[in-house]
Amino acid sequence: MSHARPIRKVLVANRGEIAVRVMRTCREMGLRTVAVYSDADRGSLHVRFADEAVRIGRPPARESYLAIDKVLAAAELTGADAVHPGYGFLSERAEFARACEDSKLVFIGPRSQSMEKMGVKTSARARMREAGVPVVPGSSAPVADEGEAAARAAEIGFPVMIKAAAGGGGKGMKRCERAQELAALFQSARREALSAFGDDRLYLEKYLERPRHVEIQIFADERGECIHLGERECSVQRRQQKVIEESPCSIVDPKMRDAMGEVAVRAAKAVDYRGAGTVEFLVDAKRDFYFLEMNTRLQVEHAVTELVTGLDLVRMQIEVAQGEPLPIAQDAVVRRGHAIEARVYAEDPARNFLPSPGRISYLRVPNGPGIRDDSGVYTGWIVPQFYDPLISKLLAWAPTREQAIERLKRALGEYTVHGITVNLHYLESVLDHQAFRSGEYDTSFCTKHEQDLLARPDPRYERVALIAAAVAAYKRDHDQAEAFAARAGLALASRSHWQRIGRARALRGVLR
Amino acid sequence: MSTYVALLDGGSREQTIKVTPQGPGIYQVEMAGEVHRVDAFRHDYGTISLLVDTESYSAQLDQRQSEVRVHLRGSTFSLEILDERRLRMRRAAGRVVVEGRHTVTAPMPGRVVKILFKKGDEVKEGQGILVIEAMKMENEMKSPKDGKLAELFVLEGQVVEGGAKLAAVE
Repeated sequence: MSHARPIRKVLVANRGEIAVRVMRTCREMGLRTVAVYSDADRGSLHVRFADEAVRIGRPPARESYLAIDKVLAAAELTGADAVHPGYGFLSERAEFARACEDSKLVFIGPRSQSMEKMGVKTSARARMREAGVPVVPGSSAPVADEGEAAARAAEIGFPVMIKAAAGGGGKGMKRCERAQELAALFQSARREALSAFGDDRLYLEKYLERPRHVEIQIFADERGECIHLGERECSVQRRQQKVIEESPCSIVDPKMRDAMGEVAVRAAKAVDYRGAGTVEFLVDAKRDFYFLEMNTRLQVEHAVTELVTGLDLVRMQIEVAQGEPLPIAQDAVVRRGHAIEARVYAEDPARNFLPSPGRISYLRVPNGPGIRDDSGVYTGWIVPQFYDPLISKLLAWAPTREQAIERLKRALGEYTVHGITVNLHYLESVLDHQAFRSGEYDTSFCTKHEQDLLARPDPRYERVALIAAAVAAYKRDHDQAEAFAARAGLALASRSHWQRIGRARALRGVLR
Repeated sequence: MSTYVALLDGGSREQTIKVTPQGPGIYQVEMAGEVHRVDAFRHDYGTISLLVDTESYSAQLDQRQSEVRVHLRGSTFSLEILDERRLRMRRAAGRVVVEGRHTVTAPMPGRVVKILFKKGDEVKEGQGILVIEAMKMENEMKSPKDGKLAELFVLEGQVVEGGAKLAAVE
C-alpha cells in the first residue's frame, strides 16, 4: 500500500514496559526500532529489545526523557522517520509534537494543535463546555499561587482537587479537604507537576463524592473519521493512581455505552483529533457522567481494550500516522467477554505505598490460559528510583467477569518477584474483596477498605513456612560444610604425601 | 540433627525447630510437639517443593540480608532463622536501645525535595520532618516521637541512598 508518510524506522521516546510494548508491534510490522535511554537505563529491557539505541543523558527525566532536543538528535542520528512517545514523559507535550512536525518526523499521535487544545486541562474544559459536553465544576484557568487557589477553593467549596494543567497519571494531583491544608498541598503538587511534566501550572476542580472513573477509548484517522471502542472502568485507585482496570464496567449498559461513546467522539472531533485518545469521565451515583479530561496518547491500560476488541491499538496508531484510514468502522467493532488488568508496582502497600526500587533478584511471570503480561523488567534488573514504579501490567481475559477475576487472581499467585517489594498481595486482596466482586465500587474503594486490603499472612500456613525456612537453612549449612570439606580434600590431595604426614604429625603435636 | 530458632513478628515471638536428615531430601522436622516427615525438592532459584506428610506446597524463599520472606499459598511470612550458635551470639550482643534519641532513615533511595523543620525545632510524633521524592512520588518522612529535632544530616536537593540517616529527634 502506498502511504502519505511511509514509516520504516520508529524511535520510541520512552522506557520500561511501554517502550517494549510499542517495539513488539513494530517488530511484528517489520519496522526497525530505536530506543533512547538515560544512564540509569543502560541495562533496561527496552534497550536490549530495540534494533538501535542512543544514550540521551543523565538519570533525572528532565535531563533525558523530557529533553526534546536530545530525543530529536537521536532521531536524526539514527535516521528514524517516526517517533512514538508512549505515555507520560513527552507524550502530551504539544511542543514536542510540533518539533517533530517541523523536522519532518512523523509523530505517532495527534496533531500538535489538538494536543494544545486538550493538553492544557483548563482550556480543554472550557472548549468541552462549548461543545455541549458536561464538565465537572472548577477553575477555567490555571491559578497563579496559593492565595488565588484559596479564593477559588472557597468559591467551589471543599473538598477540592488540585490538578496539574499539563497533567495526567495522578502526578501533581492532590485532594484537599480543608483550607488549612491547601498551601502545603499546592506547593507539593507544583513540585510534582514540574518534575513530571516540566510545567507547574495547576488548577482546581470540585471533588465529587464517591464518583466512578470510567473512560472511553476513541480512535480517529486523518480524514476526521472517529470511532469509539467502548469503556474501561478505572475506579480502583490509590494515591490517585489506577491499580485495577476492567472492561466492561458493571454499571454501563449498551445504551449508556453508546451515549458516552457519542459524547467522547464529539469531544475528539471538537479538537480535530487524530490517532488513539481517551476521554475520561466521572460517573456519579445517578449514572450521570462528566468530562474530566482527554488523554491525547495511548493509555497505560490500553491493553484492556485490546483484549475485549481483539485489536492492536499500537498497530492502528502507526497505520493512522502513515495516513491510512481506520481499519474498522464503528458498527464492525465487536466486544467480547471481559478483560481485567492489574498494575504490578514496585511499592509496599503496608507502608503507605512507599516506592521500593532495587535489584530484582528473581522473577518468574505467570502464564497459561487467557493471560497477558506486559512487562519491562527481568531478573537482575535494578528498578531505578528516578521513574514510575510500574514494572508490569498483568491482564486476564475470560468470557465472564467472574471468570476473568478468578483467572487474574490465579495468575497473580504464580507471579514471583524477589529482591524488591511489590504489591501482588494487595492486588489479590482487591480482587477478593466483596465490594469489588459485587461491582458496586467507586474511586473511594482503596481508602474505604484500606484495612481489608492489607494482606495478613494466613496463620494456617505459618508452620509450613517455618518448616520451609528451617529445611532450607539446614540444606544451606550442610552444602556449605560439604563444599568446604570437598575443597579441603582437593587441597590435601595436591600436596605430596611427605608434606601431609608432616602436617598431621605437627597437628597431633599441637593437640597433645 | 540441627536445631534452629525462628524469630517471628520482628523478634517478639520465637519458635524452635529441629531438623534431622533421613535420606536425600528427606527430613524429620520437630516443632511445637509435632513431628513431620518432610520431603524437600529444590527447584529453580529460591523455590522449594515441600511434601509435608502428604500435603504438597510450593514455597518461595526471598532472602534479604538477615531476614527471609517465605511466600506460600498467597501468604508472606517474614522471619529470621538462626542456628544455636548465631542465637547465642545474638543474645550475647544484646539489644542496644538508645533511649531518647531516634534516628530517621531513608526507607528507599531518593531525593530530598523539602525540609520542613529547622534544627532545634519541636516536632510531634507522626509529623512530617522532610519530604523525599522517589519514583516521581513525594513521601513525607515522619518523626518517630515527640521531641526536638536534634540533627539534620541532609540538605534540600540531596540524593540519598536507602537507609541513609536523615535526621535525629531527641
